[in-house]
Amino acid sequence: MPKHKPKRSNPTIDMTAMCDVSFLLLTFFILTAKARPAESVIVDTPSSISQTKLPDAGTLTLLVSKEGKVFLDMVGQHTRKYLIDEMNNDYSLGLTDEEKLKFSIAGGFGVPRAGLKKWLDASPTERNEMDESGIPIDTVDVNKSELATWIHRARLAQFEMKKQGVVSDEYVIVLKADKDTPYPAVKRVINTLTDINVNKFNLITTMEGDPNKLNAIEGK
Amino acid sequence: MAEMQVAEKGGKGGKKRAKKLSTRVDLTPMVDLAFLLITFFMLTTTLAKPNIMPVVMPEKDVDEETAKATKESQVLTLMLGADDKVYYYEGISDAKLDSTDYSAEGLRKVILDKKDRVRQQFPDEEKEDEKTGEKKYYSKMSVIIKPTKDARYKNIVDAFDEMKITNVVSYVLLEISDKELEFIKNPAGGLDFSVEEQVQAAKQ
Repeated sequence: MPKHKPKRSNPTIDMTAMCDVSFLLLTFFILTAKARPAESVIVDTPSSISQTKLPDAGTLTLLVSKEGKVFLDMVGQHTRKYLIDEMNNDYSLGLTDEEKLKFSIAGGFGVPRAGLKKWLDASPTERNEMDESGIPIDTVDVNKSELATWIHRARLAQFEMKKQGVVSDEYVIVLKADKDTPYPAVKRVINTLTDINVNKFNLITTMEGDPNKLNAIEGK
Repeated sequence: MAEMQVAEKGGKGGKKRAKKLSTRVDLTPMVDLAFLLITFFMLTTTLAKPNIMPVVMPEKDVDEETAKATKESQVLTLMLGADDKVYYYEGISDAKLDSTDYSAEGLRKVILDKKDRVRQQFPDEEKEDEKTGEKKYYSKMSVIIKPTKDARYKNIVDAFDEMKITNVVSYVLLEISDKELEFIKNPAGGLDFSVEEQVQAAKQ
């Protein structure tokens, strides 16, 4: 009787199917990924236990740097176009159509109104080298405060766009500050917001473990 | 198979066939790469969304008639000072200044301790959660957060965070008054803060 030899199977597995699946997933993730927009200034946000995620709706971000400089950024090309048209007419910024277009696709800015033309003419690399002084805030007269005007006008622009059906949501105001930003700088921005009746806004934070939940896990 | 090999060896006149190369390619490295990229994109898309902490500020123009007065014994005032220090006092008339830090043993204990004492005097309000129907208890304690100019942004976020952790629902961020700054400098002097002055300070 011949010895029964176990049949040696080929150790290679057909990877084609797995390859198909993984590339399908890869394509999906690449397409859904959003490029992180360039930040005007790098801030290190404080941590909190808040689990709420930033909503997908349009956001108007107020960035307060460590030195207390304020930068403004909002999403939505159409809104930005409308906003800069209005601002150009009302405050005679003297912008050309090309500069307006640049504004509509640019990111956050932190220059006074008078310096906006120069900032828009600069290339992105030159902008990084430019000393951006932040958007001026007048703490006494809200009508003279450039930041208040920008936020107010941006919200109106977004509202107008919503009416026209270009966008679906109004702006969500987001405040992003460095954890070492002194309180007076943050206070100026918060006061500006409350002055123009924006009493609800969001602070951007990084994640931190919730001690209540951690205790529950540990069985305390 | 064996027969074919024999035939090839022996047959002189047999046609020379081009050796058929296997069309199979080892796809393992490709799959490796694809999964690596998937992991990268998955993590960057989900982590790119920052967390937010919603804040509601009190309205500027408060109608004094509709505004509800809070009992002194329900109030804890936190004053956020320099170097990550928190000064706090309870009530107003016989306020005693004390200080602590933002750690779990510091500020959280102070708030929970005060909450317990408030609960003994004023039972927690019972409310049903609208969505789940779950019964929830809300403390009647109020916390007033007043940052000084030496506080940093992180301190405010930490203070708000403690409110969430200790489940205090009524808290407010207010401007600090000169009287309170004086109180921090000279705790023995006591806090002489009349109702009118408080209203004035809150309006600033």
